[in-house]
Amino acid sequence: MKLSQSFRMRLFAGFLLASLLPLLLCAVMLLQVFRLRLDSQMDSETQGQLSSVTGALDSLYEGFRKVSLALQSSPYVSPALATGQRESDMVYSELYGATEGSRSSARFDLYDAEGNWLYSTGSAAPQGRLPTQWGVLRSARESGKLVFSQVDGGEGSGAVLLQGCAYLTTPEGAGAGYLVITLTRSHIAQALEGKYGNRSQLLLLSRYWRPVYATQTGQAETLAAQLRQRLLAGEPLSAEGGEFAYRLAFQEGMGLYVVLQRPQALNQDTRRLLTTVTAGSALVCLVLSVLMSISLSRQMFRPVARLQKAIGEVERNNLDVYVTPYQNDELGQLAQRFNAMVSALKRNQEQLLENQRELNEAQIRMLQAQLNPHFLCNTLDTMKWISKINQVPQVAVMSTDLADILRFCISPDEFVPLSREVELLRRYMEIQSIRLSEQCRFEVELPEELETCLVPKMILQPIVENAVLHGLAGVDNGVVRVKVWTEGEETLKISVTDNGLGLPPELEGKYVRGFESDRSHLGLYNVDTILKKHYGGESGLYLARRSDGPGTVVTAVLPLRREEREC
Amino acid sequence: MDGMAMGRAGKLLALPLALAALLAGCTPGAERGGESAWAPEESERLVVYTSHKEEVYWPVIKEFEERTGIWVEIVTGGTNELLSRIAKEGEEPQADVMFGGGVDSLEAYGAWLEPYFCADWEKLSENMRSDDGLWTPFSALPVVLVYNTKLVDEGRLTSWKDLFSPAWQGRIAFCDPSISGSSFTGLVTMLHAVGGERDQVLRRFAVSLDGRQLSDSGDVLDSVASGTDLVGITLEETALKRAAEGAEIALVYPEDGTSCIPDGGALIKGAPHGDNARLFLDFIAGADVQRRMEEELSRRPVRSDVALTGELLPLEEIPLVEYDLSWISANHDAILMSWAFYFEGGEQP
Repeated sequence: MKLSQSFRMRLFAGFLLASLLPLLLCAVMLLQVFRLRLDSQMDSETQGQLSSVTGALDSLYEGFRKVSLALQSSPYVSPALATGQRESDMVYSELYGATEGSRSSARFDLYDAEGNWLYSTGSAAPQGRLPTQWGVLRSARESGKLVFSQVDGGEGSGAVLLQGCAYLTTPEGAGAGYLVITLTRSHIAQALEGKYGNRSQLLLLSRYWRPVYATQTGQAETLAAQLRQRLLAGEPLSAEGGEFAYRLAFQEGMGLYVVLQRPQALNQDTRRLLTTVTAGSALVCLVLSVLMSISLSRQMFRPVARLQKAIGEVERNNLDVYVTPYQNDELGQLAQRFNAMVSALKRNQEQLLENQRELNEAQIRMLQAQLNPHFLCNTLDTMKWISKINQVPQVAVMSTDLADILRFCISPDEFVPLSREVELLRRYMEIQSIRLSEQCRFEVELPEELETCLVPKMILQPIVENAVLHGLAGVDNGVVRVKVWTEGEETLKISVTDNGLGLPPELEGKYVRGFESDRSHLGLYNVDTILKKHYGGESGLYLARRSDGPGTVVTAVLPLRREEREC
Repeated sequence: MDGMAMGRAGKLLALPLALAALLAGCTPGAERGGESAWAPEESERLVVYTSHKEEVYWPVIKEFEERTGIWVEIVTGGTNELLSRIAKEGEEPQADVMFGGGVDSLEAYGAWLEPYFCADWEKLSENMRSDDGLWTPFSALPVVLVYNTKLVDEGRLTSWKDLFSPAWQGRIAFCDPSISGSSFTGLVTMLHAVGGERDQVLRRFAVSLDGRQLSDSGDVLDSVASGTDLVGITLEETALKRAAEGAEIALVYPEDGTSCIPDGGALIKGAPHGDNARLFLDFIAGADVQRRMEEELSRRPVRSDVALTGELLPLEEIPLVEYDLSWISANHDAILMSWAFYFEGGEQP
C-alpha cells in the first residue's frame, strides 16, 4: 500500500506542476501586461492633465505679471503710493483697468512702502499693516520680481492660500509701494476647475513641498507631509503596493509643484479579482491533478496489486497461481513473465522432489545392503565353528579374523583407538601369513599409554597391505614392523617398516599426491587424503628408505588425540 | 505521506512563485528617476528638533526656507525628550539644530552641543547671551505670577512672598518642576527672590501648595482662568497670549524680582548640515525674526537693538533677581530632591 501512495503522490506532484506552472506564469504575465498598458494609458492621461493645470497656472501668472507691469508703468499709481494718497479715482481706474482680465481670479491690493493698505479691488479693507521686513513683501522687494508665497489661511473656501507681491517703484527708482495679489481657496479652485480628471486628486505644494492647496481640503497637510518625507528620504512617492500613484510638474512663476494623485492603474479590486480567478484556476488544476493521479495510479496499481497478491501466494509456497494478463502493455508482459517464472519454479521444484525421492530409494537400498556384511560375519562365525569341529584350524583362524575385520569395517565409528587399529592389523597379517605360507613376520611396538590414542579407522591397514604386497614381494623372512611414538606433546607418528625391495628414490620424502597414476598405490593415496582432510596439510605420509638395511619406512604423521571419555 | 516527494514538489512550486515575484517587482520605476530629481541636495537641507509650538516655529522656519532655499525637516517633541534623544544619538546626530527649550536646559546638555557665536552676537542683550556661545537666545521669558481677575482683587498679589499667604493655600497653580523646565525656573527664581534659608522657603511653599501640583505647564493658565486655582506661576509669554485671548487673568511681575531666562537654539555637535544650522541660528537671533516674534506673538526680543513696539513692559522696568545659570545647572538635581522631600510632606526639621 505504501508503494501506491508514494507513487500517487509523485504523480500528483507532477501533474500539479505541469498544470500550475504555466497557469501561474500566464497569470503573472497577463497581470504585468495589463498593468503596463493601463499604466502607460493612465500616464499619458495624467501628463495631459498636469500640463493643462500648469498651463492654467502659467496663464494665471502671466495675467498677474501683466497687472504688475501695467501698474508699474502707470503714471498715477506709484506717485500716489509714494505719497500715501488714498481714494484717488485715477489710481482706482488704473487698478481696475489693469486687473480687467484677472480680477475674477484674485484680489488685488495696493500698499504703501511701510505696508499700510491704500487701495483694493476687494470690498473690505484688510486689517493691520503688512510687515515689510518679513515674508512675501520683503522677498518681492529684494528680488524685484513678482513672487508668490504660501499662506496658512485655514479651512474655509474664502481662506487665503497664496499671496503674491510685486514691488512698485517710482520712475526715479525709489520704492513706492507694493501690489499684493491674494488668492483664496475658491480662486484657485475656480482657476483649476476641469483641468484634471475627476478621478485624480490635485495637490499644490510650495517650492519646499509645503501644502498650499488640495482638492480634498482635509488631506493637504498629512499628504503633503507624507510626500515631503518620502522625497527627503529618497523614497519613491508612489509607495510599493500603495493605493495611489503620483505625477508631478513644477510651475516656475508661482513656485508651485502640481501633484496629481490618481488611483493605481491596477487597483485593489482588480488585483483581488485577478488573484481570485488565478486561485480558482489553481484549485481546478489541483482537483484535476488529484483525480488524474488517482485514476492513473489505480490503472497502474490494479495489475501491480494482482501481481503482488500472486507473489504472496508464491511466498506461501502455492505455485498454482496464475496472473491473467489483461492488457498487452508492460504490465501485461510483466504478468506473463511472472507466470512463466512461476511455472519454471514449479518444474524445478518437481524435479527436486523427484531427485530427493530417488536419493531416498538409494539410501533405503544401502540400508538393505548393510544387512549383507552381518550375514557374512555370521556365516564366517559358523564357518569357524564348523572348521573347528572338522579340525581345520587355518580355516577357523581365517574365518575368525575375517569376521573380526569385517565387523571392524562395518562398525559406524569414524575414529578408533590405536589398539583396535593394531588389533585389526594383527588379524590382517594373520590372514596374510596363512596366505603367504608364513613368509612374513609382523611386529608391533606400541607404548601402552598410546593405546588409547584416537586415529581415523583403517589408516594403517592400507599401508601395511602396501608393504606386504609391494615391499615384501618375493622376499623371504619378510618383516613388517609397526612402531608408534610421539614427537613433542602434539604429534603422533606411526611408522610401518618392511625389509623388502625399498622404493624408488624419487618417492622419498613427503608423500606427493597425484604422482601415482596406477591403482597399485591407491591405498597410500587414500590414507594420505584422509589424514590431510582430517588434520590439515601438516599431517600425511612420509616415505623413506630404511637406514639400517633394505626396505622402506612409511610414516604417518598426525596430531595426538586421546580417546575422549564417553559421556 | 512521502516526505521527499512533498519536499520536491514544494521546491518546484516555489519556482513559479519566485518568478512571479520577480516579474511583479521589475516593471514600475521607469519614470521614478524623475522624482528624486526634485529632492534637494544634502547641502540644501537642515534637520531641526524643536520643542516650540507650531505657531512659533512654523513662521520662522517657513521664512527661513524662503530666504535661504534650505529645506528644513522638522521634528517636534518636548524639550527634555528631544535633548535626551540628541544625547542618545550622540556620535551620530540626526539633527542639526535644537530649537527651543530654556537655555538652562540646553546648558545641561552642553556636552552634545557645539559652541557657536551667532552673527549678531554683539547686538544681543548682555544678560541674554551665552558667554561661551553654547546657545543662541531666541526669546526672553520672564517668570510671572498670574491671578484670576474675578476672584482676586488687584494688589493682593504683588510678590513671591505673597504666595505664602494662607489665603491661597491649596489654590496655587504650579506645575511639577521635575516635569516642566519653566516651573523649575519659577521655583529657583522664588528661592532667589525670597532669600533666606533654602529649605525654609521650600517648606513654606510646599505648605502653600497643600500637596497639589499640576502635571502639565499648559494647565497652569487653564486652572487660573477657570477659577480652579486663584493664582499661578507661569511664563510671561504664555500668560500675555492668554490674556490677549480674553481670559480673566492678570499678570504680576513680582516686586521682589523675577528671572528672565531666554529660550534658545543650539548647534548640535557633529551636525550633518552644520553650515545650514549656523545660518539658522543667525536667523533666529536676527532682527527680522526678533521683531516679528514680538509683533505677532508677544515674545520678548533678546536683541538690544530691537525696540519694543507692542504692549510689552520694557525689561528695565521689571525687577530682576540675580540668576546664576551655571550654579543652578550644577544644583539642579539637589534642588529637585529637596523640593520633592518637602512637597511630599517630609518630616519637620
